[in-house]
Parts: sequence; structure tokens; C-alpha cells
Amino acid sequence: MIELKGVRKRYRGRYVLNGLSFTAEKGNITCLIGMNGAGKSTVMKAIMGLVPVKEGQILVDGKPRGRWMYEKISFVPDHLTMPLSMKMSEGLTFMADFYASWNAERAAELMRFFRLEPGEKIGNLSKGTAAKYNLVLGLAPNSDYVLMDEPFSGIDLFSREMIADVFSSELIEERGVLLTTHEIGEVEHLIDKAVILQNGKAEMEFDCETMRSEEGKSIVDVMREVYSR
Amino acid sequence: MRTGGGWEEVEFNSREPVYLQVVRHFKEMIVAGKLEAGQVIPSRRELGTLLKINPNTAQRSYKEMEERKLIVTEGNSPSRITQDDAVLRAIRAELLGEAVDAFVSAVRKVDVPVEELLDLVKSKYIEALSSSPADIAAEGGAERP
Repeated sequence: MIELKGVRKRYRGRYVLNGLSFTAEKGNITCLIGMNGAGKSTVMKAIMGLVPVKEGQILVDGKPRGRWMYEKISFVPDHLTMPLSMKMSEGLTFMADFYASWNAERAAELMRFFRLEPGEKIGNLSKGTAAKYNLVLGLAPNSDYVLMDEPFSGIDLFSREMIADVFSSELIEERGVLLTTHEIGEVEHLIDKAVILQNGKAEMEFDCETMRSEEGKSIVDVMREVYSR
Repeated sequence: MRTGGGWEEVEFNSREPVYLQVVRHFKEMIVAGKLEAGQVIPSRRELGTLLKINPNTAQRSYKEMEERKLIVTEGNSPSRITQDDAVLRAIRAELLGEAVDAFVSAVRKVDVPVEELLDLVKSKYIEALSSSPADIAAEGGAERP
């Protein structure tokens, strides 16, 4: 379980995260929903240690975060961070050198799943193809958790559909997935749990099927309520 | 595994639990004859991929269907549609009852004598059957509110 407890993060004189608490469990797809600028990416970076957090606690499987967790959690940022001059196949080797948890077999399977051409140069990839390759890099390691920042943002319909297929496949089974989105429509049926981020806090945290069966509300219905408060 | 068509066209409604919508889809396929008594159904994992739902939801749908005796799983063999006639008849009665209820509540907004209504239903139904017999069940399902 990834657990945030009262996390506060100040940025340019303003608290972007202001007492944020929520959990993301293994075996579940948790979606962090918020408007642009709500601090979704900051949450991801805070969990990964890419921005310093002085107030509050971030625990992974009950332990404070640290170097050990980079083999346990993979992070798919909203842009590719690989050297652009590399071919996709070289990028995979690069990752294999860095991570003990790298699973070359799964990487090959993912390249086929997304129909990617290993010989293509990373710098030449279209936005949709780059997003798919980015997911290959994040899903290939044998990590327990996968964080994805806006995996659907700014790419074409068919690429989005292909990426959505990941969430109904065995690629994520047993793992804990935490993704962010500002557009829930695409993943409404795919996620287990939603966390609505507003004013630096988790305004709502709920199980989507329970919300539907007990209150007959869709995720969008709940968002509308939260934003109109 | 191929189990025939009928899996791709599912449109989920976002206000009803997804796992219950999956169960309903199975019932519709049973009454439409697309799934037969005793037929092997896709595994949980295959169902997740076919219907584009997450593995937890697929698991929950199967659990629900097992509890309601809609499907049976013996030991390690794949799950099958039940062969229990009473269960199959109950599903048919349930879906038919729901469709008629929805029809009645829609048609009650119009002041119409029952004889006129029944004649109209009869002629429309015969017309629909002769134009595309296979689509009747699927349409009945999609019209649910």
C-alpha cells in the first residue's frame, strides 16, 4: 500500500498540497482526479522523491520512502525521459542496466502489445507512440506499484483505446496502479477507486462500484458535487 | 477461446455497478440463445479483455454469477453456464418481466385502450421479427434505462 498522511508542499508561496491523505492499494487501480493545477503531478513526484516534502508522511508498504523503493515502484511521467538519439531497443537495454527488477520478456511482450518497432529512433516518435513506449518502460519491471501521470493526455483516440486495454489485461493484475487524469470519461469503468483532489486535499476518496450501488452515482456525478461546493 | 459474438457491443452505464451490468449481459446472452446451457464461458482474464473491464470487476462478476447459480465451476475445469432448468427459466422470466415493466411505464404516458396497444405491439413485433430476427434480444437489452 502507498499511503500519504497529511502531506503539505509549498510552491511559490502557496500550498499546492495542503494536508493530503489517501491510500493506493496493491491489486487496485486508483485514480487521482483533479482539475489542471490541482497538484496531481506534484503528488506523483512527491511519492517518487522528485520533489522534497518536509511536512507529512509518505509510506510504501508501511515503510518511509527511500532508495529501496525504486525497484518496487515504477513511474511513468507525462513525457518521455529517454535520450532522443537512442533507438527504442537501446532504451530497453538502458533500463535493464539500471533496474534489477527489469523483466526483458515482459518488455518484449509489451512492445508487441503496442505494436512498436524496436528499431525506431525515440526522437522520431509521434506523441501517441511515445506515450505507448513510455508505458512499456513503466510496466516492464516486476514492480509492485506503477504510477502513471496523465497516460491519456493529448494523444489520438486509437492510441488511447490501446492504452486503456492495458487496464483490463494481466499486465496490471496483482499490481497497484495509481494514475492521474483530468478527464475521467475514458477510465470511468476501469478504475477501482477514485480520489478527488481539490485545494491540496483529498476531497473525496471512494470505491467506485460501492458508490454506484449505494448512491447510484457515477464518478462524474461525484466530481460535479465536489466542484460545486 | 471463441465463444461466438455478443461480447464487443457492451456499452456500460456509469451509474450502475459494472459487475452487475456484466451479469445482466450474461443473462441477455443466455435468453438470446448466444450462450447455451452447459456452454463453457471465457475465463475471468479473457472476460476482462473482451469486455474491457478491470480484473477485479471480472472476478466480482463471476463470484456473483456463481452465487446466483448462473454459472458452475467444478474443480479446476473452466466455468460453464448452468444446466439447471429452473434457473434458466427464472432468468428468462426476469428479463421479460423487466422489459415489459419498462414498456408499460413508458406507454402509460399515453392514453390508449389496451386492445389498440396490443394490436400495435403485435404488428410491430412481427415486423421486427421478419426484418432482423437476431437483433431482437440485443435491442431489448440496449433499451433499458
